[in-house]
Amino acid sequence: MTRCPAGQAEVEMAELYVKPGNKERGWNDPPQFSYGLQTQAGGTRRTLLTKRVAAPQDGSPRVPASETSPGPPPMGPPPPSSKAPRSPPVGSDPASGVEPSFPVESEALMEDVLRPLEQALEDCRGHTKKQVCDDISRRLALLQEQWAGGKLSIPVKKRMTLLVQELSNHQWDAADDIHRSLMVDHVTEVSQWMVGVKRLIAEKRSLFSEEAANEEKSAATPEKNQTIPGFHQAP
Amino acid sequence: MATYLEFIQQNEERDGVRFSWNVWPSSRLEATRMVVPLACLLTPLKERPDLPPVQYEPVLCSRPTCKAVLNPLCQVDYRAKLWACNFCFQRNQFPPAYGGISEVNQPAELMPQFSTIEYMVQRGAQSPLIFLYVVDTCLEEDDLQALKESLQMSLSLLPPDALVGLITFGRMVQVHELSCEGISKSYVFRGTKDLTAKQIQDMLGLTKPATPMQQARPAQPQEHPSVSSRFLQPVHKIDMNLTDLLGELQRDPWPVTQGKRPLRSTGVALSIAVGLLEGTFPNTGARIMLFTGGPPTQGPGMVVGDELKIPIRSWHDIEKDNARFMKKATKHYEMLANRTAANGHCIDIYACALDQTGLLEMKCCANLTGGYMVMGDSFNTSLFKQTFQRIFTKDFNGDFRMAFGATLDVKTSRELKIAGAIGPCVSLNVKGPCVSENELGVGGTSQWKICGLDPTSTLGIYFEVVNQHNAPIPQGGRGAIQFVTRYQHSSTQRRIRVTTIARNWADAQTQLRHIEAAFDQEAAAVLMARLGVFRAESEEGPDVLRWLDRQLIRLCQKFGQYNKEDPASFRLSDSFSLYPQFMFHLRRSPFLQVFNNSPDESSYYRHHFARQDLTQSLIMIQPILYSYSFHGPPEPVLLDSSSILADRILLMDTFFQIVIYLGETIAQWRKAGYQDMPEYENFKHLLQAPLDDAQEILQARFPMPRYINTEHGGSQARFLLSKVNPSQTHNNHYAWGQETGAPILTDDVSLQVFMDHLKKLAVSSAC
Repeated sequence: MTRCPAGQAEVEMAELYVKPGNKERGWNDPPQFSYGLQTQAGGTRRTLLTKRVAAPQDGSPRVPASETSPGPPPMGPPPPSSKAPRSPPVGSDPASGVEPSFPVESEALMEDVLRPLEQALEDCRGHTKKQVCDDISRRLALLQEQWAGGKLSIPVKKRMTLLVQELSNHQWDAADDIHRSLMVDHVTEVSQWMVGVKRLIAEKRSLFSEEAANEEKSAATPEKNQTIPGFHQAP
Repeated sequence: MATYLEFIQQNEERDGVRFSWNVWPSSRLEATRMVVPLACLLTPLKERPDLPPVQYEPVLCSRPTCKAVLNPLCQVDYRAKLWACNFCFQRNQFPPAYGGISEVNQPAELMPQFSTIEYMVQRGAQSPLIFLYVVDTCLEEDDLQALKESLQMSLSLLPPDALVGLITFGRMVQVHELSCEGISKSYVFRGTKDLTAKQIQDMLGLTKPATPMQQARPAQPQEHPSVSSRFLQPVHKIDMNLTDLLGELQRDPWPVTQGKRPLRSTGVALSIAVGLLEGTFPNTGARIMLFTGGPPTQGPGMVVGDELKIPIRSWHDIEKDNARFMKKATKHYEMLANRTAANGHCIDIYACALDQTGLLEMKCCANLTGGYMVMGDSFNTSLFKQTFQRIFTKDFNGDFRMAFGATLDVKTSRELKIAGAIGPCVSLNVKGPCVSENELGVGGTSQWKICGLDPTSTLGIYFEVVNQHNAPIPQGGRGAIQFVTRYQHSSTQRRIRVTTIARNWADAQTQLRHIEAAFDQEAAAVLMARLGVFRAESEEGPDVLRWLDRQLIRLCQKFGQYNKEDPASFRLSDSFSLYPQFMFHLRRSPFLQVFNNSPDESSYYRHHFARQDLTQSLIMIQPILYSYSFHGPPEPVLLDSSSILADRILLMDTFFQIVIYLGETIAQWRKAGYQDMPEYENFKHLLQAPLDDAQEILQARFPMPRYINTEHGGSQARFLLSKVNPSQTHNNHYAWGQETGAPILTDDVSLQVFMDHLKKLAVSSAC
């Protein structure tokens, strides 16, 4: 494999991005969070902004401590940092963040992605209805066409490489999650063929569990002739 | 008092309940003198990651008119294996499975820490979830493309065995037959004529002739007769074909001439959707998801005609009785909503357009069924796309947060009766000894149906104390209420959540201080607000405000400390100190002030207000304002013009909007680029801090709020300026020495003036 583990981490980092909203179509459209960031959102919240201040009962508003001098605000610079510069804060302006650039790496290879997918489809031919296989095949062809035609962006190619890795390692849930993240973040690019990949993962998964079940059954038969546990028997 | 705040918080965390009063006045007369009714906010499916459901079914009281669930308040005789119902005092035998219980071996449902407990129902078939998409094709090309992509994406988020269906509409309504092979077919209906459920089912070929073979088959969920699943197929079978079908959807082909609106038959489309589900899958969890890009202009349920020069009704038109289609259209959708709720289904409305889409007339579809209402400018916006994605968010167990087909059953001890509920529910008309004749909200019942709900769905439930004046306090000194919610979990399994609570009675004449100390002003504010907004649906705006003001004055008269006729002496204790402020902001809120909002916008805001939990509801009533500066850590500040200062950044959360506002000096520093200089790195951090906090809110909230990043002098600053209390305006004469804060150009009354008037009225003996 040409991919090293660092590639995966980088792709995962790249999945946590924020893009600005569509200001042309929606006034004050909120920023768009990637699938990775949204699924992460269930975790513990850093701050809970829910406190309030009671209005003073005698009627006058509390004069805040910061207001010391009347008149226009001072035009001088802000108070300088007293410490040495620390590492920058995590996160960026939700509205103006752009997709972080990747360190330059060798391009994801189309063959590295398509060959395993086609192989997986072949494996499923006995197990899956012909029509479904043809449909998946059609979509894989579409994927190839779009990839070869330079229509797919780098993040999509990178994540497809990861997806295929997970599929080859029988990590069905992980592959499924990557397919979902691609559908959420890049629906325009992938919608036509991704559903074929999704189905392929599902068929491979069911084929695998069928095969595993069959293996268990065939392993069970010789067991009947085995020694009863607890009894010594000469080999 | 610190102890009551803790008590209130612990109870909310454990039981999902917040009461307006936590020590209850023991007589009806005294209770009415409290002004704020005895009521609670209940979040039936509050997320409890620490509470795994038990794998057995609840034990019920054997009295047929009671059937309360065994709970920690029940007295138990472990030796005789008997328990006494705390509501009706019936003695019940434990079922045989409980033979081994003892004082040291209690079942979970008897332990006090399990005042809230969830049971799994083992029997019965589990039917799959159903999602029926009803899609408007009278959209602009970009919008339709974005919507198609969102729907295709959703197929990847739906569970594989969920059933999915598609109806598209414009001038005609098309019901698509989903099949895996051959040519795709659809049934086309005229958009002008409404049909009965039976007619729809006949025309779709759903009515099956009686076949003798069909009896004696145990109901199996996957084996529905094939005739009913032509239009609703499992995602895992149909996703590829449906993806293609969606991809091929075209704009409505009927040409729209200059000066006209497209003919949109929303009323008939929804009618067909409801009829289709009614005929095929009644009484199982289903969502009808309506996606619309403009108002219904044809057929039953039309909200405006097709002439663009006649605008859609405004509040002004409605006041002048100049809204031609409103009554009839509302009636059409109300009938559909009631039928849908009776079938246990819910209707979501996703309305994305720059002009109104008829949410005012259609709101009952979402409000009565517990469906969602999402309002945006276009389907091609992040607001719609991400809000839509969040419907399919999974919880800590990897299950969808949405739940279906809930019934809420409330039981009270005999000193209390149920006056009604306000929230996304319909009445089940269950009469009984617990039901009061005085209605508040949806009353006349002790059971309601909530067809669509999630872990934040919250109902306001109102009670009446019925004990006679001077009757002794009931034995044991505590009143009890039990909430039983039966529902279909997103994993399709049926569950039952039971919450049983008790609170002390107190004699208001001798123990008023205790009752006062246990007042929950936050819950009371939200419960009164829900009552106000409920009234606003049927009463005139000014009448509602007058009612609200009257209740506030009476409350201050009862619980304020003052010398008669001396406003300056007026004081409220800590447990009431925030309440007048809440009422002031509520009066100015878009829930009660329709000025400056369209009828659709008002309906949208009210929809969300009537179902959110306490924290979010309070944010809607009185937005949160936090200040970021060099003078210390971020802190909450008064929602007041005096908080707008040159050297501060403000973050305001109104629930529907997140506003970040840079004070004048901060804005100047940012323009000068100090954040890019390494010596001023702390300024960079200061700029970043509110952005990070805003991001946390934006990432989680449903629906997604709008995001406004503005500064002193910016036109968008108006979002902040219109919400803060205008303590300093061009009008007022309040001189506090220095010029603090920014004056607001308004004629609105300020909180100070409001409080002054309030105090004068409270201390006056004339009231």
